[in-house]
Parts: sequence; structure tokens; C-alpha cells
Amino acid sequence: MASTSTFPDQPHGPEPTSVYSPRQRGRTGISDLVVGLSHADLWGHFAVHDIRLRFRRSVLGPFWLTISMGITVGVLGFIFGQLWNRPLDSFVPYLAAGFIFWGFLTSTIVEGCDAFSGAGGFIRNVPMPLSVHFYRVVARNLLVWAHNMVILVLVAAIFPPRLSPVLLLFVPGFALFLVNISWLALVCAVISTRYRDVPPIIASLVQVAFFFTPIIWRADQLSGRAFFIDLNPAYHLLQLVRAPLLGETPALESWLVCAGLAVVGSLFAVALFARAHRRLPFWV
Amino acid sequence: MAHISISSLAVDFPVYGANSRSLKKRLFAQITGGRVVAGEHREVMVRALDGISAEISDGDRVGLVGRNGAGKSTLLRVLAGLYAPTGGEVSITGSVGALLSSHAGMDPESTGVENIFLRGHILGLGRAEIRSLIPGIAEFTELGSYLDLPIRTYSDGMSARLAFAVSTTIRPDILLVDESIGAGDARFMDKIERRLEEFMSAPRIVVLATHNVGLLDRFTNRRLRLDAGRLSEPDSDTQDAP
Repeated sequence: MASTSTFPDQPHGPEPTSVYSPRQRGRTGISDLVVGLSHADLWGHFAVHDIRLRFRRSVLGPFWLTISMGITVGVLGFIFGQLWNRPLDSFVPYLAAGFIFWGFLTSTIVEGCDAFSGAGGFIRNVPMPLSVHFYRVVARNLLVWAHNMVILVLVAAIFPPRLSPVLLLFVPGFALFLVNISWLALVCAVISTRYRDVPPIIASLVQVAFFFTPIIWRADQLSGRAFFIDLNPAYHLLQLVRAPLLGETPALESWLVCAGLAVVGSLFAVALFARAHRRLPFWV
Repeated sequence: MAHISISSLAVDFPVYGANSRSLKKRLFAQITGGRVVAGEHREVMVRALDGISAEISDGDRVGLVGRNGAGKSTLLRVLAGLYAPTGGEVSITGSVGALLSSHAGMDPESTGVENIFLRGHILGLGRAEIRSLIPGIAEFTELGSYLDLPIRTYSDGMSARLAFAVSTTIRPDILLVDESIGAGDARFMDKIERRLEEFMSAPRIVVLATHNVGLLDRFTNRRLRLDAGRLSEPDSDTQDAP
């Protein structure tokens, strides 16, 4: 049993030998994830293509993403700032950062549900690693996020933050954030392909979670700290990226929760994908 | 040296959305004696391929024949590495090119050229390589300025031409073709035949699933007949190809 690649490189090299048999179990799934990741040309191309397609024939193109996020943040900042009588120079940056990362988190998970089931034509007809379809969703959302970050830069120009070395914590925070939303999206992608009731369940959970998570409101607005904040992983994830950008240090607790989730979740997601890998083409 | 070795290959297909947990089906089962129902909670499985064994070597041009639903497409998908076998083993030496559907892997909203890039990337080609292929593809498909239009504006025949052209400009050792290429006018069928001829002059393997007797007679030197997922005796009854 030589190579188990399902994606032999076409023109060059000696002839590859591929063996397909039921004995290969999870191994092919794991190599699929690795080979898929190395095909950045594919999923990168798909991701750019998706965004281009969404805004084909519009003048501003993907900057409509930026504009609609800008309108949301601007209007909500004004309304809730007035409503709760909060100083705009701290409230608007908080709201902008919260919205941008919440959007990144939820759209990656929600669109992740469709990663394989939406690529049925490819999966059934075109040999390439299955994980390419998953990386495509993550890459696409990363691009959307990058467009939204323009808003945060604008907000920072209007309400200049105090610069401190705490800002550097954004880098590890973002890495942990990305790992966590990726494994969540992969789990959702696999389960949704098999059980078609899952995407609507996820979509409604995400909607409810928005109100439970401190995005518009602040955790310290609650009198006694509510248990549902500390138990909410989305809160910890948001804190890792939002707090450093606002010049605050995320709590140690948030780091621990997110690092733990990243390790356990990634192992679970990889195991699930490896287990389902052989059956996925039959499910789409 | 291209080679395909298939030994007692089996593929089971789970069928969802056909479960038996509806009152109507349960009542029906009572009347018919319960034979349609596979089980209350178990998924319905279809054995698409059963105990297939075959050796295909260099120079073999295999015509895969059989009725609709006999398992031709499933077998091609297993050979392409798309479907994993449930039993048995398939071992393939050589690079594999698959042309299983003229629409899959094409994006209707993108132009012909963009789709050439998309397909080219999928085939593992770099940007420069793909760019150098475009003139040849334009000539072969005779699509001309249509290549700059979204392919949703193409006819079935036009997109089939494009798919065929892109998939055959690279030369895999083993080419798997499903009957979908049948969509094309007589003139283009000629071109396809010439391209296939060219392709087959090299010592490679071609597996062609089709109902088109003309194509079978001209291009295949061997037949595998599938019947309800099993390989039936080949060559014995060539005249009644459906």
C-alpha cells in the first residue's frame, strides 16, 4: 500500500499508485486534511471567487461588506450609547470590535454547515481532497473579516485608543480564536452533511447566543456576575480578540478556556472527520 | 505503465430520505407483507457494486456497458477515488483523469475563461500553465468570444465541449469518461472522437461508460458489462447493448 492520495499530481513524477480499500479507515481522512491544506491555490481561489461572485456587477464590490458593517455599528452605537448614556469614545470601539468578531465567528460556523453539502457536484464528480471545501469556507470568512476590519481602523481614527503593548496579545488571541472557529465549523460541516436538521438548529442557536453574549452590552453592566457569562465559550473567545484591541488584557480564565477548547475540539473534529471521511461522498 | 486492479469490489450506498418511519409506509408494509421495509431504524442500503473483479492494463480501452442504474457511474467514481469501497480492494497505478459530468466543477456565473482556470487549478495546474492552454481550448471548442461570457449563457452542448476540452488537454495515464459527453452536435462528436483517438494512441487506459454503440465500436477493444452491480460475462452479447 503505497500512497493513499486521492489527488495524484498530474503531469510529472513517476506514476503514483493509489489503493482504495475499506481497511484504510481514518488514515485517509487525516491525510486528506493535510493534503487539502497544502492546496492553498484551490481553496484560496475558491474563496476569492465566492466573494467576487457575491458582488458581481456591483460597483463597490466586496466593500459593501464594510459599508453594511459600518452602518450597523454606527446606528447601534448611537442608539445604545444614548439609551444607556455611555460615552461614545469607549462604547463605539467596543461595539465595532464585538460585532466584527461575532460576525466572523457565527458566519464561519453557519456557512460551515454547508461546506460539504453545498459542494455535492464537486464531491461526486471531481477528484480533490474533501477538506478543500472546508478550508474554502474558512478562507472566505477570513476575507470577509478582513474587509470588516476596515471599520475598526476607521473607528480607531475617530476615537483614538491609547496604544499599549497589550495590543500584541491580539496575535495569540486571534490564533486561538481561529483554531476554535475552524474546528467548530468542521464539526458542523460533517454533522450537517449527514443530518440535515442540524443547520437550522445551529442557525437558531446562534441567534439566541447573540443575546446571551456580551456584544452590545458589557459583562460588567450586570450587577452580580451572571453564571451564564463565565459558562459561555463565545464570551471567552470574543474576549481574546476584543479586549487586546481595546487596550485591555483578557482574563487568564479566558485564555485557559479557549486553549483547552482548541485542543479538545480540534482532536474531536479531526477524529470525526477521519471517521466520516469515507462516507461523506455518499451523504452529500 | 498504467494498471488498474480490482478485486471483489463492493460498494454499499446508504439511501436517506427513504426511511420507513411513516404511517403510510407502515400500512403499506402490512399489506405487502413487509418486504419493502428495510428496518425500523436502520438506514436503507443499496448494494451498488457487488463482487467486481477485473484487471485492466496498458492499452486497454474498456467500454463499460449496462442498463441505467447498473453501477457504471459508481464504478467510475470508485476508480476516480471519489467513492470509497465498502469491500474488496482497488489498486491503481498511474495518474487518473476523470470526466464524469460536464457541469460539475463548473460555475455557471463565471465566464468560460474563469472556469478554465477553476478546472485547471483542480487538475493541479499552475496559472501560467493554464494560460498557455487557453488558445488550444478556444480552438478546440470553437467557443470563440463566448469564452468571455458566463457559462450560464451556454447551451448544454457548449458547456460539455468546454468540460471535455479542459479535461483532455492534460494527459493522465488513465482517463475515465462517463456518457455525459454525449451532449454535442455531430460535428463536435467528430472532434471528440479525434481527440479520443489521439489520446488512445498512447499506451494508456481509457474507461468509457456509454450507451452509444458507435463510440463503443470505434474506441473500445474490451467490454465490461454490469448488471445490477455485478459483472456479467463480457463479450458474449455485444449486440444488445442498450
